[in-house]
Amino acid sequence: MQFTTLPRRKPPESIVPMINVVFLLLIFFLMTAQISAPEPFEITPPDTVNPSEEAEGEFTLYLSSQGELAFRDAIGEQAALAALDVARGAFCATDGCTKKMPALVLRADGAILAKRLAALMPKIGQAGFATVQLVTSPQ
Amino acid sequence: MIDVVFLLLVFFMLASRFGHDSRVLLNVVGAKAESAYQGPPRLIDVLPEGLRLNGRALASEDLLPEIEALTEKPEDTIVLRPRDGAALQQLVTVMEQLGEGGFRNVVLVE
Repeated sequence: MQFTTLPRRKPPESIVPMINVVFLLLIFFLMTAQISAPEPFEITPPDTVNPSEEAEGEFTLYLSSQGELAFRDAIGEQAALAALDVARGAFCATDGCTKKMPALVLRADGAILAKRLAALMPKIGQAGFATVQLVTSPQ
Repeated sequence: MIDVVFLLLVFFMLASRFGHDSRVLLNVVGAKAESAYQGPPRLIDVLPEGLRLNGRALASEDLLPEIEALTEKPEDTIVLRPRDGAALQQLVTVMEQLGEGGFRNVVLVE
């Protein structure tokens, strides 16, 4: 008598649960993602202790630790402010800018001299913005 | 199809940015004509080490009571002037202190 144990092949693992999980993750990332344009330079915003309202605006200006200014593709103070002015003009042409002023978000490095920002403020005012939202990172 | 889903998943994982940014508000001098400066001078000099209120040296914990004595309402404008080598971080720290006291109308001058 011989009992030959036939090697039983394991059934293939079902792929359906994995697809479920992957879909779940995909939907999670889709819902939570905040896609943003890459920053022109590495910026570490100044720290604050308490979180406050979220910075949100149509225009984002970048100020690097070297004191260089950038807006969208324009790098350098003259170019960036000129591009900002053009962008604001285009925005106001469609919206009117009468009811609500467009908001300006400034991502500045925490290590730059505060004087640099003070010198920049009148120029931002000339570009037609009354208020600047300075981005900070809460801890 | 699974390949495509994986691709999308990886894309969103890499492209998304988590953690919302906070903000502090800064006004441009003279941009809001309706809220003209009123009351006694409130000029805070931000130095690399320490503060000065109207030219007088001040410890940072004394700032809020002193400012409250000089203002009538929290909407009153406060002028900040960074001096010498003061970093933006120090300025933001002062602004946050003021914000805790309800003072959000801050302008920055040279």
